[in-house]
Amino acid sequence: MEAFIDQVIASRSGRPGALLAILEAVQNRHPQKYLPEASLRYIAAAMKIPPARIYSVATFYALFNLQPQGEHTVCICRGTACHTRGSRSLLESVRLDLGIGGGEEDSPTSPDGRYTVRTVACFGQCALAPVVELDHRICGHVNERTLTREVAAMCEGHDQ
Amino acid sequence: MPQKKISIRIDGELVSATEGMTILEAAQSAGKDIPTLCHMAGIADVGACRLCVVEVAGVGRLLPSCTTPAQDGMSVTTVSPQLMRYRRMVIELLLVERNHVCAVCVSNGHCELQSLATSLGVVSVRYPYNYPRLPVDLSHPRFVLDHNRCVLCSRCVRVCAEVEGAHVWDVANRGIKCRVTSEMNQSWGSSTSCTSCGKCVQACPTGALIEKGYAVEEMTKRHENISALAFAKGARP
Repeated sequence: MEAFIDQVIASRSGRPGALLAILEAVQNRHPQKYLPEASLRYIAAAMKIPPARIYSVATFYALFNLQPQGEHTVCICRGTACHTRGSRSLLESVRLDLGIGGGEEDSPTSPDGRYTVRTVACFGQCALAPVVELDHRICGHVNERTLTREVAAMCEGHDQ
Repeated sequence: MPQKKISIRIDGELVSATEGMTILEAAQSAGKDIPTLCHMAGIADVGACRLCVVEVAGVGRLLPSCTTPAQDGMSVTTVSPQLMRYRRMVIELLLVERNHVCAVCVSNGHCELQSLATSLGVVSVRYPYNYPRLPVDLSHPRFVLDHNRCVLCSRCVRVCAEVEGAHVWDVANRGIKCRVTSEMNQSWGSSTSCTSCGKCVQACPTGALIEKGYAVEEMTKRHENISALAFAKGARP
């Protein structure tokens, strides 16, 4: 991992906003799609950026994860249009199905590490409300039945 | 090279300023008082607190005077009913966000938030209080970080990065979850880059960063020394 980080820093550094690209590359490289603290510290030391600055950037952007992510990601839109078309019940039902708590302190990833359920403020696809993103694939006009089906299909597609 | 002189009008009074000065600096050099919280002489301005907003003729919105450069011929209003209402609202929102209980605070009587609330005439808060559950970091041998009293002005962050050069602090997360954190979100005491200089404590306008061993109303702060040091270092002209 450290060799990879060195390589990414060498290819990106010097450009403005390089830190964001470096963090993104390091996160994508990690099998659990997150930035472990050790990696952040290594980047800080290698780029001579204060660790506090790196932590601040990594926590500001919703794109960066500081916790291990599940194998599959279900991302439910909680924008106004999707809310009025029932995205809250979608969120609650998918959390119930996958065994994920909905509280403020609860982890968005199921205990077995298979699923992560996230929310997003708006996908910009309000005509398709309610919108759900399953492993980076956008599904529109979702209801509870189709969501259950799509989640099952997503897992099968991965297992085959 | 001599710097270009410009003249601007502040509250109807002609004031001369140097090009590159902010409206706040021009007003202060003319003896005008604009309320500020996140501004500290000698360190960079970020326009975080929005208390120093002013009206500029021809601009439809309010501008933060600490980050707006003065321009020749500008006409600025620093006191108006709208500005007072706006500044009071800012103070009310700051009071609502965390747990500012003056009666049990070491900085009671020496707090910039408190004195601003008094001078701006904030006698009641019209919004419901948040009452967040926030931790207090007592891990440092000499100092305390109390998130309950933090207003996120980021003066500690800038003083540590610009004057001390340690950059122990930064603001993590976003929105209502914003917190001042040391290094990688670790306890202050375990931070290896902290030099225990205490500049952040002296720069803090409230009782969020304090020295251990003080009781209620006992903590007084002197950030003028840090400003003098910053000017001496030449961090900013």
